[in-house]
Amino acid sequence: MARTGSQWATPPNLPESHYVDARIYTDEALFREEQAKIFNRVWVIACHESEIPNAFDYRTFRHPGGENLIITRGEDLKVRAFYNICPHRGNTILYDPSGNAKRMTCIFHAWSFDTKGDCVEIPRGEEGYQDRFSKEDASLREVKCDVGFGGFIWVNVDDGANSLEEYVGDALGLLHDSLQPEMEVFHYHKAVVNTNFKLWHDTNSEFYHDYMHYFNRITGMMQPGYFDRKYTGYKNGHASVGSMEVKYDAYQGSDSRGVGWPGLAPGGWLLIDLFPGMTYNLRTSVLRVDTVMPLGPNKAIIEFRGLGLKSDTPAERAERIRDHNAIWGPFGRNLHEDLLGVHGQGLAMRDNRTDARYILHGREENSTIHDEIGMRHFYEEWSRRMNRLASDPDRAPDAVAA
Amino acid sequence: MSHRESIERLVYESGSTLDALDFKGYLELCEDGYEYSIEAYSPEIRKDMVWLHHDKAGMDTLFKNLPKHNSDHSTLMRHLTVYKVDVDEASGEANVISGLQVFRTELDGGTTELFAIAKQHDTIKLNDGYPKLSKRTIRLETRNLGIGHHVPF
Repeated sequence: MARTGSQWATPPNLPESHYVDARIYTDEALFREEQAKIFNRVWVIACHESEIPNAFDYRTFRHPGGENLIITRGEDLKVRAFYNICPHRGNTILYDPSGNAKRMTCIFHAWSFDTKGDCVEIPRGEEGYQDRFSKEDASLREVKCDVGFGGFIWVNVDDGANSLEEYVGDALGLLHDSLQPEMEVFHYHKAVVNTNFKLWHDTNSEFYHDYMHYFNRITGMMQPGYFDRKYTGYKNGHASVGSMEVKYDAYQGSDSRGVGWPGLAPGGWLLIDLFPGMTYNLRTSVLRVDTVMPLGPNKAIIEFRGLGLKSDTPAERAERIRDHNAIWGPFGRNLHEDLLGVHGQGLAMRDNRTDARYILHGREENSTIHDEIGMRHFYEEWSRRMNRLASDPDRAPDAVAA
Repeated sequence: MSHRESIERLVYESGSTLDALDFKGYLELCEDGYEYSIEAYSPEIRKDMVWLHHDKAGMDTLFKNLPKHNSDHSTLMRHLTVYKVDVDEASGEANVISGLQVFRTELDGGTTELFAIAKQHDTIKLNDGYPKLSKRTIRLETRNLGIGHHVPF
């Protein structure tokens, strides 16, 4: 029987860890709090080292906490990260997404900086500032930066943050062997979607939505071993999903696969979600890495990267690109479906007047593939960092214990 | 009918068949050895990228699989302008460059937005006045396609 308004607004008869209040996906104040308490405190992926292979190469990066950053490789080949803000009049220093600059010069008044963040030129500095202010006072704001876990460049804007190694911990252990070869990004695109960033990460954190994907149903769900895949939760809100043997030839038009990936069994599929919005997804012959950049409670940029091995022959690379595009490209079978799903959630959960009240994360199947423990693990960490229950953000987690 | 006229008619017909989701009609405009690709350059990673590549059989399979998938049902309309036609009588082929704009219209309310712009590079077999597409490369300028689409441009 359909529910009345009051029944609809009643919390589900499940433990509070097994559902969330939809306001966490729509509330502007909660979103700003997430930027401060989560994104500005954790390590996030900015780009991959193959995107800045040479001295003086740079990438710009819109940090999910709101800061605009420059990632640059110095003459000493060390990678560093800085705020992309001129300390003079607050102008953006580098406008393009990538390039090569021995000196990073602000177009406004030609203040110039080297790849260590030191100010090396203030035009007519002494005439204007005499001995009151000098280049030494005008260096860039550096942020923590490290390279690891498959050659990704990570940043953390919290000067007091623990190391990247401590943050990731054991979460990427399943991919340890697979991340050892030198890799290269061959695909990059971003999608701006009217949805909350967590809804994208939720989708990456549960496989029950394979019902949405014809490709995954026929090559995975209908094959032996699918329901044996298990979730493992790790410290700091990360989670992984174990492998199975995917039967790619069950989908008409899906080519036989010969290239594979080091450390991945033929037909294997490993997926690891890193809090609060990064996913390593390794299947066929491609590593896909998603990163989210929230723009507001109901708008997010999702960056998609496809990676192959730097040692690829042209034929091997072509096969990886084909494998990538079949399901994960902008015209791929699965990516469009996943994005359509979170787009639909965004339509239903637009603002604080949303008709959705509670979102269920309640499936329990011994941590196997259709268990929703991946999402529950994420929201346990979210609640800890926000000091708010995801199921009732007006209450602190401590209130439950009390 | 001049080469230019028959070539323009083919290019426009290829767009309108896809607009109408008449995939059989579209493939009938293509040679058996037809190759289709969508490409883009990424200033972020400073690389050329291939986003879709199929031969004629692959396109046929892609089209036949469409009803099995969940897709955005917004309609697409392709606006094509043929910029340049280079006919090589010796090889019996023409190279054609067109401007392509793809508009997407929502089913609910009919709001239309510009979805993508691109240059379309066609190689066309002249076939004594009955031209057919032998190769098409869509070079996208637009790279943020939002939630994307299952139907090629």
